[in-house]
Amino acid sequence: MALKSAIRNLRNKPDVLFIRLPNILSLLCIVVGVVWLLLLPLNDYSRHTYISENALLPGQVHAYFTGSEQNIFRGYKKELEVLLNEGRENDVSQDEVAVTPAAHNKLHSILQAAGLKVATQKYEYTSAGITHQGENIYGIIHAPRGDATEAIVLVAAWKTADDELNLKGVTLALTLARYFKRWSLWSKDIIFLFTPDSKTGTQAWIDAYHDLQPASVQPLPLKSGALQGALVIEFPFDHNFQSLHIVYDGVNGQLPNLDLFNTAVSIASGQMGMGTNLQEMWEHDDSYQSRLKTILRGMTKQGLGYATGAHSSFMPYHIDAITLQPKGHGWEDEMALGRTIESLCRSLNNLLEHLHQSFFFYLLMQSNRFVSIGTYLPSAMLIAGNFTIMAIALWMRTGFYSDPKTSTLISEPTSEKSSGSKAQCSTEVKIKGNPVAERLLAMPLTLVSGLHLLGLVPLWMFNTLSYQYFTTATYTFVVVDIVLPLLLAALLSNGLGLSAPIVPQQYLLIKSFALLLLGLSLSTLATLNFSLSFMIGLLCAPLSFITRLQGPSAPVRYAVSTLGLLLLNLLSPPIVLLGVCWYTGVSVETVMTQAAFGWDVWGMWTSVVVWCVWWPAWLIGCVLLGSSMF
Amino acid sequence: MITLLRLIQSLSLLLLLIGTVTAEHTSNWAVLVSTSRFWFNYRHLANVLSLYRTVKRLGIPDSQIILMLPDDMACNPRNAFPGTVYSNADRAVDLYGDNIEVDYRGYEVTVENFIRLLTDRLDEDVPRSKRLGSDAGSNVLVYMTGHGGDQFLKFQDAEEIGAWDLAHAFGQMWEKKRYHELLFMIDTCQANTMYTHFYSPNIVATGSSELDQSSYSHHADNDVGVAVIDRWTYYVLEFLETQVTSANSKLNLGDLFDSYDESKIHSQPGVRWDLFPGGESEGRLRTVVDFFGNVQNVEVENANATEPGSLKEDLAEIARLVERWRKRDEEYSAILGNSSQHRRENEPSESVHLGSKMTEGPTRMAEDNSWGKRLVGLSVLGACTAIWVAGSILGRSA
Repeated sequence: MALKSAIRNLRNKPDVLFIRLPNILSLLCIVVGVVWLLLLPLNDYSRHTYISENALLPGQVHAYFTGSEQNIFRGYKKELEVLLNEGRENDVSQDEVAVTPAAHNKLHSILQAAGLKVATQKYEYTSAGITHQGENIYGIIHAPRGDATEAIVLVAAWKTADDELNLKGVTLALTLARYFKRWSLWSKDIIFLFTPDSKTGTQAWIDAYHDLQPASVQPLPLKSGALQGALVIEFPFDHNFQSLHIVYDGVNGQLPNLDLFNTAVSIASGQMGMGTNLQEMWEHDDSYQSRLKTILRGMTKQGLGYATGAHSSFMPYHIDAITLQPKGHGWEDEMALGRTIESLCRSLNNLLEHLHQSFFFYLLMQSNRFVSIGTYLPSAMLIAGNFTIMAIALWMRTGFYSDPKTSTLISEPTSEKSSGSKAQCSTEVKIKGNPVAERLLAMPLTLVSGLHLLGLVPLWMFNTLSYQYFTTATYTFVVVDIVLPLLLAALLSNGLGLSAPIVPQQYLLIKSFALLLLGLSLSTLATLNFSLSFMIGLLCAPLSFITRLQGPSAPVRYAVSTLGLLLLNLLSPPIVLLGVCWYTGVSVETVMTQAAFGWDVWGMWTSVVVWCVWWPAWLIGCVLLGSSMF
Repeated sequence: MITLLRLIQSLSLLLLLIGTVTAEHTSNWAVLVSTSRFWFNYRHLANVLSLYRTVKRLGIPDSQIILMLPDDMACNPRNAFPGTVYSNADRAVDLYGDNIEVDYRGYEVTVENFIRLLTDRLDEDVPRSKRLGSDAGSNVLVYMTGHGGDQFLKFQDAEEIGAWDLAHAFGQMWEKKRYHELLFMIDTCQANTMYTHFYSPNIVATGSSELDQSSYSHHADNDVGVAVIDRWTYYVLEFLETQVTSANSKLNLGDLFDSYDESKIHSQPGVRWDLFPGGESEGRLRTVVDFFGNVQNVEVENANATEPGSLKEDLAEIARLVERWRKRDEEYSAILGNSSQHRRENEPSESVHLGSKMTEGPTRMAEDNSWGKRLVGLSVLGACTAIWVAGSILGRSA
């Protein structure tokens, strides 16, 4: 009853209902959203990982990759080493990690000698004025008793994700190719793919495998069945390793099925007895801090959506893939890694259908602990929801005059515009308390959609400029971000040069539409890329509470809005970018080149979200605040 | 000849004796069903094949075993040992061997086919190998394994059989006189729930685990890469392999069920006796080979009746016949002995009988009235000719 009467009372207090309550609710949403995320590492909200797919049977087979195979490994390695050194002596100008053509050709002959069908593929990509070209070599083991409708891929790139020479990784893949060829128990074809680097090679290959390659990429002469999984092998150093670092983030924050990750962890730690790391957390003590740090690192990678390794390119095609990176100094040798891969291949070989049982949306906090989408999604949804709540409240407020101050302010323009009798009528109703106002939608709608379309300009610009202009362009954009809102605000207060001057209601409508779009986009995005939605939601959070100042006298308004604009500018996309670059020590040029490369080659959508969702919303917030000066 | 006849006589007496003592079952049938397919369910097929091997070892012929295998593990490309199925990591016995008869395979293993098989609701054109030819004198062993739950057993990830379905199927079997006694064994999770609804008599049921309990696999083969047998089946088989070594074994069901060791099986196996006449005390006395072996009893009805056509009269008649044959045999040997004694003194006695047999033919033939036979033949020929002549004349006039 108390609640009922409270709600009834609320109806008679529109200022509380439409102004104070939404503000409180929005703030509450943001706070709860953030706290929610912080709760996730606790045992009560996270779960132990488990294998859902019965068919995988991780670690149930004995791995025989030992003994004499090591001699073959050493032989292959020696051969490749000699060829690489010869190539470097002949051509001093070459990059230290670049692969010589002779070594690349050697792969061809070794694979062929092992009895694989071998083919090559040339490709070329141009992004931000830089040309990336190379040649992939791959060999296929046809399942001796299988039906060639499915395949698994083993990838070894000459350059690892960190641009080191992956000599042992390539050699291991070659040795495994020869070794696997002699087993008769494969139910799927096994493809061994050797790419020049971890960024472009797999992308070119996988695009061509599905006949979706651009013109600059050759089609594949040899193909197999539907790809069920991919493993990337890295081993860029000569000493023995201690633990296995499993990298699983895909392009656009897509993740491989959790079963694949779990199988790798289960085989590495359970069967092989080596430790596993994730998200570069070398010292993970399973404390709350470590877990949260792991989650946040995972979220950063997911949010930025770039390819973290050669495996990332497989994800858009719904092929589950991970990279296995040996790390640290220990006593595990290449044979142990080989056995891990053998066991993983046997598990994948057991699959009867595509991995589908386990989660595709998860946040890992430890190699054996995760939270699933059902648990973490509300966090980003609440933050996205705060914009929607505010947008709806503003929409209702624009159709409802209760504030005498607002009414008088509005009554003049309306009476000017509409006929006399109607104005009279509306004034009368206003006094009674709950009149319904007519919303002037044309201008706000045009402005909001126009500004969102304006986002295409920086999107196009930053993806077509040559890399050497990126730094200049970013700084230019910082200046544009300062000037543009003021310019727009000035134009707006003069009615954009049109006959009818803007009314305060329209400011509210502009904000309402902007927030509505933001809330809509972010809540949709949260289901696809939780982390990106969460990060942008947080960066945009102040926009819910920024509005055109009206109350205080002019000097106070000027001071407050200038200060507000300055603070808001600190949250503008280019400034955030610069800040992050300064904090991490990466040059702006590298980041922007990477972003352009991601857009051109990987099909990364992060820049679209930044320029067409975040930036327009931010710009409108600034315009509203700036308009209080005019 | 004498020894042969004596044998017949003693056999007939023995039959009479057995007939009066047990008169229980006259044939054995086994229905062995695995309900799951896919490589990772290798163990379920190995379970069934182990049972198949055991019942064959104890004498049930392939024609009386219905084997249902939904998948072919031997030819699965993932099998490191092509063409074989093992139920033990020592890989001593290849269960697939060279003599295996699968009656229902692949997608033929469905709930419908299983129930049709039990209740014999099959089309006429279904071959005998796919039919359960049991009758009111048959002891039937039904073994099922797969993935199950509370009162259901999954068939091939597509459908399931419920506890009531199974109970009604057995109920119909009883009404249609398709079993004499039935031993139902099931190895699946929550297996004991499957036999809770049985209502037809003469059933002993046993399962591997109670409600809300899982049944576990026993061990995995590290080269095959999968679990090869389930725990309960493993220990049942261990009992059958080590204790029931021949079809003459006197071990009874009580011994088998007493061998269950929960600490080894890791679940609580159950036994249901209440449908059996005489309950547990009577049921325990049934020997294991009553269900797993092939006891060749002959069905004998009304063993104590004396009216014409009854067994006693038949046996008396047989005894009289035997007596007559023996007399005649003695007479002949006496005649032959007199005529040829001087000739075959040094030869063994068997040849005497042989010789007597050879001379027996012509003497008998001579006794027949050959002229009478010739007359009959002539008259028949004459009649045929007359009919032919008459027919041809009639045909021409028409």
